[in-house]
Amino acid sequence: MRFRAYAYDWVAWILFASVPVIVFWQCSTSLVEQDAAGGGPMENAALYPRVLAGVMSVLVVVQALRLLLGKVRQPSPFKAHPETRRALVGAGLFVVYLVALPVIGFHIATPLLCTGLFLLLGMSIVASVVGAVLLWLATSFVFAGLLNVVLPVGVYNISLFN
Amino acid sequence: MFDLIIKGLPLFFTLESVALTAFGILAGLIIGVLPGLGPLMGIVLMLPFAFHLPPIAAMGMLIAIYIGGSAGGSVSAILLRIPGTPLAAATLFDGFPMAQKGRAQDAIGLSMTASALGGLIGGAVLLFFSPLLARFALNFAPPEYCAMALLGVLTIALVSDGSALKGMLVGGFGLVLATVGTDEFTNAERFTFGSFELSNGPHVVAVVVGLFALSEVFFQIEFGGFADRPNVERLRVSFHALRLLMRHKVNLLRSSLIGTFFGAVPGAGGDVSAFISYAAARKMARPGEHYGQGEEGGVVATEAANNGCCGGALIPTLSLGIPGDASTAVLMGALILLGFFPGPELFRSHPEIAGGIFVAYIAGNVMLLILGVVLTPLFGRVLKVPKAWLLPAVLLLSMLGTYALQSSTFDLWVMLAFGVIGYVLRRSGCPLAPLIIGLILGPVLESNLRRSLLISHDGLAIFVERPISAVIVAIDLALLVAIVVSTVRASRQPPEPAATEPV
Repeated sequence: MRFRAYAYDWVAWILFASVPVIVFWQCSTSLVEQDAAGGGPMENAALYPRVLAGVMSVLVVVQALRLLLGKVRQPSPFKAHPETRRALVGAGLFVVYLVALPVIGFHIATPLLCTGLFLLLGMSIVASVVGAVLLWLATSFVFAGLLNVVLPVGVYNISLFN
Repeated sequence: MFDLIIKGLPLFFTLESVALTAFGILAGLIIGVLPGLGPLMGIVLMLPFAFHLPPIAAMGMLIAIYIGGSAGGSVSAILLRIPGTPLAAATLFDGFPMAQKGRAQDAIGLSMTASALGGLIGGAVLLFFSPLLARFALNFAPPEYCAMALLGVLTIALVSDGSALKGMLVGGFGLVLATVGTDEFTNAERFTFGSFELSNGPHVVAVVVGLFALSEVFFQIEFGGFADRPNVERLRVSFHALRLLMRHKVNLLRSSLIGTFFGAVPGAGGDVSAFISYAAARKMARPGEHYGQGEEGGVVATEAANNGCCGGALIPTLSLGIPGDASTAVLMGALILLGFFPGPELFRSHPEIAGGIFVAYIAGNVMLLILGVVLTPLFGRVLKVPKAWLLPAVLLLSMLGTYALQSSTFDLWVMLAFGVIGYVLRRSGCPLAPLIIGLILGPVLESNLRRSLLISHDGLAIFVERPISAVIVAIDLALLVAIVVSTVRASRQPPEPAATEPV
C-alpha cells in the first residue's frame, strides 16, 4: 500500500540509492585499476567520492525508513492527469527525433517533430505545418546563420544558412 | 567600489552590451508574464547564446533576464490570479483585488516601478557590500573555501521547498555528479564507464536545461489547456504609477532591504522575502489601509522585495562564489564557462568584469523602469498566446541551445535523461535547486578539501585551527542540526494530500 502511495518517492529513492552503489563499485574496480584509489589526498581520486557516497548511504537508509513507516508528509502516487497520455506521446516523439537526428539530419527531422507536436497539442493540420516550417526556418537562421552552429546534416548532407 | 564601476563602464557601454541588456529585460518580462516559465527558465534558454558573446554582453543579457523575469511574474498574478512565477505569489493578495476594482493598469504600473526601484536599492547594497565581502574573503585559504562550499549546499538543502532530507539527497546527488569525468589531480577517469563524451563530466547546461526546461514542458502538456486564451483587459502606457509609488516611500525602502537581505542568504529566495515584506507592510499599515482588499502598498511590498532579492543574491555569488538560489547558480555557471571564477579573485584579477556586471545590473533595473511601463500593453497580448504555440518552441530552443554548446548529440541525451530525472524529482516533492548548486560547487568543495588535507598532512584539525574556517564549520554543523530537527519534526506531522499541480 505504502509503495503505491509513495510511488514517485520510491523511484527517486532508487535513483539516490544507486549513487553510493555505483561510487563504491567504481572505486573498488575502475579506480583501483587506474591506481588512483589510494595514497595521499592528491593521489587518491576515490577519497572524496567515497566520503560523499558514505554520507549518501546514511541519508538513503533514513529516507527508506521514513517511506516504510509512512513518515513522508506528501504522498506521491502514480496518478494520471488529464493529458498524461498526450505528454507521454510527446516524450516518445522527442526520443524518436533524437534517434533520427544524426541519420536524417536537422532539416528533415525538425519540421517533422514540430508538426507532430503542434498536431499533438490540438492545432489544425494547416496551422501545424505552417507553424513547424516557420519555427524550423527561424531557429535554423538564428543558430546556423547567426551563431555559425553546424546543425546535424545527416546522411543526406543537408545544410542551410551555413 | 567606484573604481570598479569606472573600470566596468567602458566594457558595458558598447552598443552590443546595452542592446542585449535591453533585450534581456524584454525577454525576461515576457517569459515572466507567461505562467509556469520564470526567470530561471529564461536564463536557461538564453544560456547557450551567451557563450557566443563577449563576457559583459553575455552577463548583462542573463542578469537582465533574471531581473525582468522576477518582475514579469506579477502581471498574470494581477490580471489572472495566477502568479507567473512563485516570486509573485504574494503579489496577487492585493494585485488581483486591485484589478477587480478596475485598477489593473495602476497595479501593473506599481509592480513594474516598485520592482525596478527595489532592484536599484538592492543594487546599491550589492555595490557596497560585494567588494567588502570579497576583500574579506582574500583571507580565505582552502579550508575556508571548502567550508563555504559545504555551507552553500547545506543552506540550499535546508531552505528549499520540500523536506530538508530530500534537499540533502538531491544536493548529494549533484555533488557526486560533479565528480564524473577526469580527476584534475590524478587524471583518472571517474564514473565515465569508458565513455569519451563523459570525460569532462555531463555539461552543466545540458543538466540544467533537462532538469528545468524539459520537465516543465512535460508538466505543461500534462495539465492541458493548450488553446486557452484568457480574457484580459486592454492596457495602455502610463507613468501615473510613479506618482502613486511616491506615497509608499517607506514601504518601498523597507521591502527592498528585506528582499536584499533574504536574497543574500543562500536559499531563502525571492518568494520568502516577498511574503515577509508583505507581512511587515501589513503589520505597519496606516489607518485606513486594508491589505488583502486591493491595497497599493501590498503590490509595492512584494514586488520591491522580490527584485531587491536579485541584488542580494548576487552578493554571495560574486564575492564568495556561493550562489543564493538556482538562478544565481546558473548565472555563476555561465560566468565560469565564460572564463571567470566568481570570488575574491574576480575582484582582484578582473575588476573590470566585476564592475561591468555591477553596471549591467544597475542599467538593467533602469531599463526595467522604462520598458516595464512602456511595454505594458504588450503584456496582455503575451498572456493570450496559447500554450500550443509556446511549448514546441520552448522544446526546440532548449534542444538547439544544448546542442550548440559542443555540437554534440550526446548532450541531447544527457538533457533528456535529466528531463526524466527532473520530472521524477518534482513529482516526489524533491527540490531541484540543490542539484545545480551541488554540481557547480562540487569541484570547489573537492579541490579545496584535498588541498586542505595535503596542507594538514591528512588531518581534519586544519578546519578548526583556523579561526574563520572554525566559524564557518560551526555554522555548517548548526545547519546539519537544523536539518535533522526539521526532518524529525516533518516526520511527526500528519500526511498531506498528494500534489495535483506542477511542483
